[in-house]
Amino acid sequence: MEMNTESAGERKLQCSDVTKCFELLESILDGDMIQGGKEIMNDKLAKCQPCFEHYHLEQAIREVLKTKCTKQPVPSELSDSIRQKIQDIL
Amino acid sequence: MLRYNLSQSLLLKLMSEVQRRKYSQEEKNTIFDGEFMPHIDSMYNFAYRLTFDEDDAKDLVQDTYLKAYRFINSFEQGTNAKAWLFRILKNSFINEYRKKSKQPTKVDYQEVETYYNSDDVDYQSTTDLRAESVKDMLGDEISNALNSLAVDFRTVIILCDLEGFTYEEMAKILDIPIGTVRSRLHRARNLLKDKLRGYAQNMGYNTEGEEEEAEF
Repeated sequence: MEMNTESAGERKLQCSDVTKCFELLESILDGDMIQGGKEIMNDKLAKCQPCFEHYHLEQAIREVLKTKCTKQPVPSELSDSIRQKIQDIL
Repeated sequence: MLRYNLSQSLLLKLMSEVQRRKYSQEEKNTIFDGEFMPHIDSMYNFAYRLTFDEDDAKDLVQDTYLKAYRFINSFEQGTNAKAWLFRILKNSFINEYRKKSKQPTKVDYQEVETYYNSDDVDYQSTTDLRAESVKDMLGDEISNALNSLAVDFRTVIILCDLEGFTYEEMAKILDIPIGTVRSRLHRARNLLKDKLRGYAQNMGYNTEGEEEEAEF
């Protein structure tokens, strides 16, 4: 989802309804789309600097969580031990 | 008499329904191997992030799979097996693991939950943490920040961002309304941002808040 990142020159510096806007932006980033949400979002990102910054920060946080969190390798014996336990209760 | 007949026929109907849904041994094994076992990686990582202990995580995953097998008849084929398994794991963690845990119980969680237990959220602009500094952070910093959150906040972030569950699936896994999922996630990410802001300032990353905050 690549956003239009033109200069912030024409964006307003105050958001008139932070609660509603940020909730919408966060829901969209989480994949919980409302009807027409994307159009409203694009409009906000083009016109409102706080919305623009919030969107990009929230997007960055989701991205690093998804890609950078260290993963634990599954212990190799776990699958076998589960199957063995199931055999035992059959 | 009529009443008796009705309830008996209802009972027979219910019984035949249960019979119909019972899987054969072969079907059980197919479901278990084909739909349950492929999620062992996600399940183990979820368990590890809840317990922070390899042995506890192994036990939790093993218990979950045994329960899943035992109650396999209540699993509807074609529905989301991963969400079903995560729900069992989370319930096992709450009901069994938390009770016998050697770790001191999370007092902070109770405080946090009582304090925050409302769906009303204040949305505020956080201008002093920049997307660029977040992107520059190391995996360990992100992981540590996540791990430092109280378990309910950690859980929603794991389910949403690491495992990609939808709000609706999360509501089912956690037995809470969607509105609570949304507000808890928002608070969880705000707490995470506080941690990341601390790291960013500590590491001399570019933050707009220039005050010298040495408390970290």
